[in-house]
Amino acid sequence: MAGRPVHVPPVVGSLVNAYVICRRKAWLMYRQISPDEDNVFLHMGRLIQGQSYGRERKEVRLEHLSLDLIRRDDENLIVAEVKKSSRARAAARMQLAFYLYELREMGIEAKGELLFPEERRRERMVLDESLAQQVEHLKESVLMLVLQEQAPPPERTSFCNKCAYTEFCWA
Amino acid sequence: MQKTLYLFASGRLRRKDNTICVESDEGTKYFPVVSLRDIFVFGEVDLNKKLLEFMEENEIILHFFGYYGNYVGSFYPREHYNSGYVILRQAEHYLDPARRLELARKFVDGALANILQVLRYYQNRGKELAPYVESITRLAEESLPACGSVEELMAVEGNARGYYYESFNTILEGLPFTITGRSKRPPADPLNALISFGNSLVYAKVLTEIYKTHLDPRIGYLHATNFRRFTLNLDVAEIFKPILADRVLFNLVGKKMVGLEDFERRGGAYLLKERGRRLYVQELEEKLQTTFHHRRLRRNVSYQTLLRLELYKVEKHLMGEQPYEPFVSRW
Ligand code: SF4
Repeated sequence: MAGRPVHVPPVVGSLVNAYVICRRKAWLMYRQISPDEDNVFLHMGRLIQGQSYGRERKEVRLEHLSLDLIRRDDENLIVAEVKKSSRARAAARMQLAFYLYELREMGIEAKGELLFPEERRRERMVLDESLAQQVEHLKESVLMLVLQEQAPPPERTSFCNKCAYTEFCWA
Repeated sequence: MQKTLYLFASGRLRRKDNTICVESDEGTKYFPVVSLRDIFVFGEVDLNKKLLEFMEENEIILHFFGYYGNYVGSFYPREHYNSGYVILRQAEHYLDPARRLELARKFVDGALANILQVLRYYQNRGKELAPYVESITRLAEESLPACGSVEELMAVEGNARGYYYESFNTILEGLPFTITGRSKRPPADPLNALISFGNSLVYAKVLTEIYKTHLDPRIGYLHATNFRRFTLNLDVAEIFKPILADRVLFNLVGKKMVGLEDFERRGGAYLLKERGRRLYVQELEEKLQTTFHHRRLRRNVSYQTLLRLELYKVEKHLMGEQPYEPFVSRW
């Protein structure tokens, strides 16, 4: 009865990110089963996002996309995604690729940049055909997953220890 | 770790910048709001809407207690964790009699198992508790599985508690405390006053934790839902009352930290005086901060955290993920 949401909200960036890290996390997020805010890592993540790049920071909302940072250099529009560490790099990469893809669908060409303020690093990203295909594929998988009746069971990975869902999953 | 603020003295409670300011005869104190989880109000306090708005913003619950230390009600700020999915599941399990009974039975199951753990602990210390243990075990193993309705479950639990409270006279042998039976409003003897006080604290503690989950505290399973009162916390508290409240009681009375002089008689009622209440909450807080290793989480957790984990287990049961098994103390 309650398993299938009647209205299917679109796939958003944070969901893509979660999916790459842990499918269960994505399923829970989609149902608004939000993690415990007492979790210190969650607090830290928010603090870092709020403080770094203060000058150029502009969170931009474009339909269902919420972009950390947008700026323009000589000729390009640059969309950036800020992450706490490169630990979840693959996830951050796919999130950013997803944004570039969605922007392209809206007719906006942009380049991407991954920012790791704690490590003082930037990584450039261009949406080429192979990456675009990966995004398309990923979007489909995410949607299939979140429409499942049951959450995927928790699986212990190196992410669990720092995951805000850890108490929920392993209670 | 956020703390619980207990207010015994009477006075005023107000917002001062980003702190909560308590003004009483004891002076003025400031508490940074980020370090607070909930506030237990025992004294007569004045407060205003500005304070409540501040509490709401910062997701802090206020629990109010009456003259006898009885629970009066809570200021339960607007929910901040909302999941339509979880609430629907909660209602679904309430509306389906078989599912409701299944969950309700688990709560009684857990309550009796933890009662037995407490009794065995004192048995190991030489108390003659065998008849009580036997009677309660029989109820848990024979009567409980045979119950076909929530009312029957309540009756079995009532019987078990009857034996259990009688056993207090054996556990506290030699001390100037006796109990003739459970009397709640008002408590007819000091032990009843202590039991009531402890239970209301545990109800409030569990309610605070429910606030930190997606569960709706108004939908309970053992305690009938009527959507106006909090009931889920009563259900979950059943499991923790023996191992939190009663253990604190035995400690305080057994170690003679609390004596008859800590009670006041008002007509036919007994109530725990302020000194006793302060000692009680201090012991309870110590208990709640005690940690032990949690195997699945692979780290140490406190009893405080355990309350939350228990709620997550209920949530996962409702989601059809994992059948709920109540926490049973092993020591
Ligand atoms: S705790 Fe582990 S299993 Fe659970 S959501 Fe986080 S990463 Fe996934």
